[in-house]
Amino acid sequence: MDCLYVGKDFQRPDAILKAQGKSVFLDDIRLPGMLYAEILRPEYAHAKIISIDTSAAEACPGVVAVVTGASCSYIYGDNIADQIPMAVDKVRHIGEAVAAVIAESTHQAREAIKHIVVQYEPLPVQVDALDSMRPGAVLIHEKNGEYWHLPAIHPVPGTNIAGHYRLKKGDFEQALAEADFVIEEEFNYPLISCAAIETHGAIVWFQNDGTIECWSNSQCPFIIRDELAHAYQVPSAAVRVRVPEIGGSFGYKSDITIEHTVAWIASHAKGRPVKWVASRKADLESTLLGRGIRTRMKIAARKDGKFLGIQVRSYHSTGAYADTGVNVSHAAGHNATGPYVFDHCDLQSFTVYTNTPPVGACRGYGHPEGQFAVERLIDMLARKMGMDPFDLREMNYIGPGSVNALGEKMYVANGSVRNCAEKVRKALSASPKPAEDERFFYGRGFAANMKSPKGAPFQTKGCILKRNKDGSVTVTIGGLEVGQGLRTVVQQVAGEALQVPPHKVRVNFEVDTLNSPYEWQTIGSMFTTMGGRAIVRAANRVIAILKKNASYALRCDEDFIGYDGQWLFVLSDPDCRIAVNDVALGYMFPDGVTMGELAQATSDARLPRYSGFDENGQGGAGVSYTFGAQGCDLRIEKSTGKVTIDHFVSCFDVGKVINPRQIRGQVTGGVLMGIGASLYEKLEIGPDGKITNPHFGKYHLPTASEAPRLSTIEFVETPDVVGPYGARGVGEHPVLGAAPSILNAVYDAIGIEFTDIPVTPTRILAALKLKGNGK
Amino acid sequence: MKEKVSFRLNGRAISVELDREMKLLELLREDLNLTGTKCGCDNGVCGACTVILNGKAVKSCVTSSKKLEGADVLTIEGLSVSAVHPIQQALVDSGSVQCGFCTPGIVMELHALFTANPGAEDAEIMKVLDRHLCRCTGYEAILEGAKVARSLVSALLKR
Repeated sequence: MDCLYVGKDFQRPDAILKAQGKSVFLDDIRLPGMLYAEILRPEYAHAKIISIDTSAAEACPGVVAVVTGASCSYIYGDNIADQIPMAVDKVRHIGEAVAAVIAESTHQAREAIKHIVVQYEPLPVQVDALDSMRPGAVLIHEKNGEYWHLPAIHPVPGTNIAGHYRLKKGDFEQALAEADFVIEEEFNYPLISCAAIETHGAIVWFQNDGTIECWSNSQCPFIIRDELAHAYQVPSAAVRVRVPEIGGSFGYKSDITIEHTVAWIASHAKGRPVKWVASRKADLESTLLGRGIRTRMKIAARKDGKFLGIQVRSYHSTGAYADTGVNVSHAAGHNATGPYVFDHCDLQSFTVYTNTPPVGACRGYGHPEGQFAVERLIDMLARKMGMDPFDLREMNYIGPGSVNALGEKMYVANGSVRNCAEKVRKALSASPKPAEDERFFYGRGFAANMKSPKGAPFQTKGCILKRNKDGSVTVTIGGLEVGQGLRTVVQQVAGEALQVPPHKVRVNFEVDTLNSPYEWQTIGSMFTTMGGRAIVRAANRVIAILKKNASYALRCDEDFIGYDGQWLFVLSDPDCRIAVNDVALGYMFPDGVTMGELAQATSDARLPRYSGFDENGQGGAGVSYTFGAQGCDLRIEKSTGKVTIDHFVSCFDVGKVINPRQIRGQVTGGVLMGIGASLYEKLEIGPDGKITNPHFGKYHLPTASEAPRLSTIEFVETPDVVGPYGARGVGEHPVLGAAPSILNAVYDAIGIEFTDIPVTPTRILAALKLKGNGK
Repeated sequence: MKEKVSFRLNGRAISVELDREMKLLELLREDLNLTGTKCGCDNGVCGACTVILNGKAVKSCVTSSKKLEGADVLTIEGLSVSAVHPIQQALVDSGSVQCGFCTPGIVMELHALFTANPGAEDAEIMKVLDRHLCRCTGYEAILEGAKVARSLVSALLKR
C-alpha cells in the first residue's frame, strides 16, 4: 500500500522536552501541601505479625500519621482477588508493605520508619514453585480457592496452586505412539526485573469533597480508577487518575501494582496529597518481577522430521500474590509451541504461590519463557535426529491453513515465519562463521518466534479526534507512551487517515481518566493494532462529517464528494470544491447562517472475536498474530568465559513498518533486554526469601559496550487485516529469540547444553572445565 | 547544626544551608526544584543523575553537597535555557530518546566529554556512555547520536 506518511521517519513529539529535562515525570510533580510516605518492609519473607508498635515513630518530627494494615478489610485483584494493600496478620514476601509513615518530608518519613517495632513469628519459606508444590508444603494462602477469580482460572484449594491451566488438542499419547523420536528436557527462565530506569511511584489525594485524585506512572489508569472507586466506595467518575511521562515500563507498570498501597496510606491523611516513589531496592523487591518459570517440555516427532505432539508442564514461581502472574502462566502454556504446527498438544501450567515478590507482565510475558524451551529443544532434537535444526524447523512452521494450539486457523494475513527465517539465515550466512582460534570459540544460533495477541474482555482502546479549522488536528487517546513511540504512531496514522502532515497532529501527553477516552491498558504490543484502528475509524467519521458539511456548499450528494486533506470536491468536477478548513465547524451560507456538525469524532477498537477459552483451552486469542525469527553470531573468550555478541539478526513480519527509525530502536532495545536476561540478569533469592542483589550494583543491566557489535534488522510486510495500513505491533517480540538463539550459539561454540539462564562467565568456565576443554 | 555552602549553579552564585548530610541530587531536586536531573538507582550506577561539577561529569546521587563550597555546577537546566543544544538535537535526531529518563544524564556526560575533548575518539565515547544505563534503546542510536554531537560541537568551536 502506498502511503503518504506511514513508513517514513518522523521525530517524536516529546523528544526535545525529554532531552532538555523539561518533561514532567511522576517524581517531578509538586503539589501544595504534599506529604511523603515511607514504607516498612519485613525482616522475613514469610512470617506471622505478632505485634506492631508505632508509638515511637508517631513521636518523630514531621510525622503526620503512622499506618498499618490492621484495620484494612479489603482485598483486590483483576484476575484473582488475592492482594492486600498492606499486610494484615502475616507477610508473604520480603518486599511486602508492613507499615508506613506519612511525614512532611521524605527525610522525616525515612527517619521515623526506623522507630516502628514489629514482632514476627517466622514461618517456613518456599522460594520455588516445585518446593511450594511438594506434599507437606506450608500454605502461603490458607484461603486459596475462596478468593474471587475469573472463570478461566482454576485454583486448587488446600495447595499453593493458584491456577492450573490446561490446553488439550488432539491426543498426545497417540503422538507418542506414532513417534520415531521423543525428546524431553527442563528449562528455567529465572526471576528478573523489567528495571525501567524510572522506578514506580504514585500520589494519592483524598479530597475533602469526596473525590480522589491520583497520579501514577502506570499503563492502566482506568483500571486504577475503577479499583480505587470500588475499594473506597465512590463512583468511578469521582476518581481521577492522571499519568505524567513514564520513564520506561516493559510491562511491570501495567496492572495495578503499588497504587492500592499508596491509596491506603493516603487515606490516613485525607485532604492532603501523599507521594510515594520507590527506591531502586523497593522497585526490585516491592513492585512486580518478571518470568520465574520452569518449563518441562517433551516433543514427539516422526523420522522424516514432522512434529507430532508437544507436552508442556510449566511451573511458575508466581510469588506471594497471583493476581498479576496468573496470565503469565497461561501465556507460557499456549505460547510454548512456538511458531510450529503440533496436531497433538498437552499443555499445562501451574501458577504457584511462593514467598517471593509477585510476578507480573514483563516484555512478552509467557512467550520468552515457553519459546526459550521449544527453540532450545528443537535444536537438541535435530541433533538427535541428525538433521539440520533450521531445516527441521522449516518442515514444521505454522502458516496459512494450519491450526494453532488454541484451535485458531492461520491465514496469509497472519504473516510468514518462513520468510522471516529465510531473511535471518541469509543475513547470518553472508559471512562464514570464524574458526576457533587461540583466544575464542565462535558460535552461531537461531530461533524462530511467535507472538500471540493480548486480549481481555472489554480490552478496547478509545480515541477522540478533532479536525480544527486551521488544518491542525487534535487526537486524545487513553494509550500510554512509555518510550515505545506510541505518540509518533498516533501522529502518523492520524495524518495518513486525514491526509494531514503528522507534525500538524497534536496528541495528548498526559492521560487522564477524566478527559481521555477509555483504554483498558496499554500492553501486549497492542496499541498500534487496536489504537491505530480506533484512530482510522475516528478519522473516517470526521471525513464523513466534513463531506456532509460540504454537501451544503457543493449542493451534491455526500457520497459523490471527494476528500484530499485540503479540499472537498465534486468527484466529477474537482474544480467545484470547498476548503476543508471552511467546513470544519459546519458550513456558513452566504447570508451568515451556519449549519452542519463539528469535525470531531470518538471511536474505539478492540480485537475482533477475542473470546474466552473452553475447558480444553480452545478459543480465540484475537486474530492478530506476529511471527519472526532471530539469530546471532557470538564469541566466547577462552580465558574468561565472557560472551560477546558479534552480530544479532532479527526479522519480524510486522505487516507494515510505520516509522523505520523508531521500529529499529524498539528492536535494538528489546534484543538487548533479551541479551541481559541471557547473559547477566537474575534476581538472586536465598532460601530465606531474601534478595541479595536488589540494586544495580549487583543486578547488572547491559551497558553500551555489551550491546551487539552489529545489528541486522529486517522486516517482512505481509499486511494485517486488523491494524492500520496493515501494521502489527512489535514492542515485545525482539526479546523472544534472544535467550534460545544465544544458548543455541553457545552450544555451537563449545558443545555444552545450557538449559537455564543467565549463562555467566563463571558458569561457562565451570562447564568448560568439567568438559576438560578449558584452556 | 546548619552549614552554609556557597557555589555557582548554572552560572549563578548561590548559597544554601545544609542541616544534614545531603547528596547533590537531593539538593538539586528537592531543595532547588531542578527536576531535570533524574534519580534512577540512587547508588551511583545508572548515570541518570549526572551533572557537571568543576568541568567533570559526576553522579550527583553519590556526591556530597558539603563538598560544593566554591564549586561550579552545571545541570541539564543550565544547558537548556532556550535553544536546543546541539548535543540534545543530535540525540533527538538519531532516535536516542525513547522514554527519555536517562537522556538528561547522557547529555551532561557528553557535554563534559566534548568540552574537555572536542575530538574524543569513539572508544572514549563508548567509555563514558558505559557509565549510563538505558533500558529502551539498546544504545545503538545513542552511540550514533553521540558521534553526530561530536561533529556538531567541533563545528561550533571552529566558527
